[in-house]
Amino acid sequence: MKLMKIEKGNLSKLMEHLKKDNFRVIGVTPDGKRFSEKFDETLNFMQSDTPPTSISFKEHFFLKTEALFYYKNNNGAIDLKEPVIDERKTVVIGARPCDTASLPILSKVFNWDYADDFFNRRVENSIIIGMKCNYQDDYCFCNEVGLSQNSEKGSDIFLIPDGDAFIAKTITDKGNKFIEEFAIFFEEYTGNPPAENKNGHDEKKFDYESVKKWLDNNFEHKFWDEAGETCLSCGQCAFVCPTCHCFDIVDEQCGTCAGVRAKNWDACQFSLFTKHASGHNPRDSREKRYRQRISHKFKYYNDKFSEILCTGCGRCSRGCPVSTDILELLEEIDQIAHSTTN
Amino acid sequence: MDQLRSVCRQAISENKAAFIIGYTEDKHHHLKPFIAHNVEETEKLTFNCNAVNNLAVFIHRFHNPSQGKIGIVLKPCDLKAINALVQENRVKREDLYVIGVNCSGVVKDQNKEFSKENTQIKCRSCASKTPAWFDVVVGESAEFELPEDDMAILMKQIDEMTPEQRLEFWNAEFEKCLKCYACREVCPMCYCEQCIADKTEPRWIESSSTTRANFTWNMIRAFHQAGRCIGCGECDRVCPADIPLSLLNRKMGMVAFKEFGYRHGTDMNAPTLIGTFSTSDHEEFIR
Amino acid sequence: MEEKFEPKIVAFVCNWCTYTGADLAGTSRLKQQPNARLIRVPCTGRIDPVFILKAFESGADGVLVSGCHPGDCHYNAGNFHARRRWIMFRELAEFTGIDSSRLHFSWVSASEGKKWVDVIDGVTETVRQKGPFDQYRKMARNIELPIMEEEGVEI
Repeated sequence: MKLMKIEKGNLSKLMEHLKKDNFRVIGVTPDGKRFSEKFDETLNFMQSDTPPTSISFKEHFFLKTEALFYYKNNNGAIDLKEPVIDERKTVVIGARPCDTASLPILSKVFNWDYADDFFNRRVENSIIIGMKCNYQDDYCFCNEVGLSQNSEKGSDIFLIPDGDAFIAKTITDKGNKFIEEFAIFFEEYTGNPPAENKNGHDEKKFDYESVKKWLDNNFEHKFWDEAGETCLSCGQCAFVCPTCHCFDIVDEQCGTCAGVRAKNWDACQFSLFTKHASGHNPRDSREKRYRQRISHKFKYYNDKFSEILCTGCGRCSRGCPVSTDILELLEEIDQIAHSTTN
Repeated sequence: MDQLRSVCRQAISENKAAFIIGYTEDKHHHLKPFIAHNVEETEKLTFNCNAVNNLAVFIHRFHNPSQGKIGIVLKPCDLKAINALVQENRVKREDLYVIGVNCSGVVKDQNKEFSKENTQIKCRSCASKTPAWFDVVVGESAEFELPEDDMAILMKQIDEMTPEQRLEFWNAEFEKCLKCYACREVCPMCYCEQCIADKTEPRWIESSSTTRANFTWNMIRAFHQAGRCIGCGECDRVCPADIPLSLLNRKMGMVAFKEFGYRHGTDMNAPTLIGTFSTSDHEEFIR
Repeated sequence: MEEKFEPKIVAFVCNWCTYTGADLAGTSRLKQQPNARLIRVPCTGRIDPVFILKAFESGADGVLVSGCHPGDCHYNAGNFHARRRWIMFRELAEFTGIDSSRLHFSWVSASEGKKWVDVIDGVTETVRQKGPFDQYRKMARNIELPIMEEEGVEI
């Protein structure tokens, strides 16, 4: 770990330099909604006390639609063609702890029984510049899922605002090398190591362990009927989520006489998600699908990979068309769990 | 909103409705849809300028005439959806117990106070502050100042573009689409058992999220809403990518009025627009 | 030598009138532009606007939709329903950038071989003037890029 300092002005110069250097630079769009290559060049988003973007940066590592290969009929033989992957080095700037933490979490599932080359290559090619967060609202719960506003999980370099400048903390070798390579933009940091600020709340909003324990034993419970009652079964929550990673693979027409096998985002809230070819659908109601969403995040993923499939960013709740608040439900589960054990 | 609660309480206790689809306040002081199944639960019902959802969408889920009438809280704008659904034989007027609310506009951002700027787009062109019909009506409507209609301005801008510029504009918008289908699920008029976007044999709308496939999806949705969309603006509100979806629907509504003098969702006894025809429909564009 | 642009036209025609009219043009040995690919459907009432978009997706530069004159429909009212749909869809297409030089409509009866030739020549010429619809195809570039390069779409 190394501490350096970078002026805000220098940070935008660095980004400009990287763009010219053929880097793929990803920041937050001027409306603060999304991560994009067309980001706000004034770096206005580099404030730690604004809400996180409405859509997470996942879409730049796990694309909403991705070609796996192309095929063409060549007089009875099949011609295959490899997809083209953007191999440019990538720098992500302005991501909060609740964004960056998603990459190591996703990495587990994308390297489980099959190593997802597309995801891995993109992550390997990237420098993630995380930023300390000072934002806290009623939807946030990073604390409760084992993260915090100071979490460096997933970052290569972690920025801590310090007046008009940032203290840059290198977390990984990749981060170290990056700072060495672009040393002219950084200065030595001579002050004291930055103190970790306390999170906005000391008390935990819910206790994960007891939620997990309750989930282990309550697949059937009337709670689920109420939780999913007004859910509309859209995929909004899954698609803005930094950790949701389900996909569907389809063959589609491509150009005038070729085909493509594509990997597209899918969501467990869709009614077709689990529909069998026979017509049977094990998750045929919105209540069952909502149970799946919560259970996958807070139980199954933990059972399998010892990680919680949630970074507590609160995006799904802020954007939900019917204002379903995942934190409220987890608090409720916590309460039910406590009332039944006591 | 004691009046609303007492009306709802009565509705259930006097068997006028089996349950009530209404709004409740969550801990963020936002309103969200809530189903009151019994008299006790009606205590949780409320209404204020945060009541953005169009509750008519829930009718499709809970429609079961054998269980009794559906009680539903509706703003004047949302009531149009019921007109349209009755027109399309989706629900019967007599299966509903409509609790109309007089409306003074709803907010765009529930975290902020109601103000001239903080109003839903749909309120900016709304002329109906009292429901056209109801079984019972509650609340009072107050006059409020309307800001400029952003969508109308945008519409004018697009109308002045060349075809290439228009395609470019929509291209940039639909590039943002994630295909989460929130626009479809939240729409009271999107009630197909199986959506054309989910059909796989043949697959009419590609499930990949290329800009082109997103374009097809949104075009077909807009066309399927032609002369049916009641302009509640829910699609705009829920779109995580902030695509001005209602612009397409509004365009279709304007064409329906211009060509056929048809205003969707105003008359539950009128024949539907696309389901009927006239031998004198104009055809100067046909060679 | 630069290759001359030949537009690809997809024509959705009804079985009873326009298809038969086009057939008449052929059996009468009338000369016509060879750019149209005909797709025969039972009736114009069967033509869902998604067909039209699908045609553009598949690389069409222009689309023609054609059926029986009003009152001539084999199923009595199919073309009246279609006409009302077209009035709406045409405006929607126009609003999103598919203008009337790419999307054409006509009534051609079984006896109008000559009219079919005029229509198809006219449509082909209009679309030829307009040029290839690469703008539409490019919308799929995030996935189709390698194939587009192979097929020579200008990027």
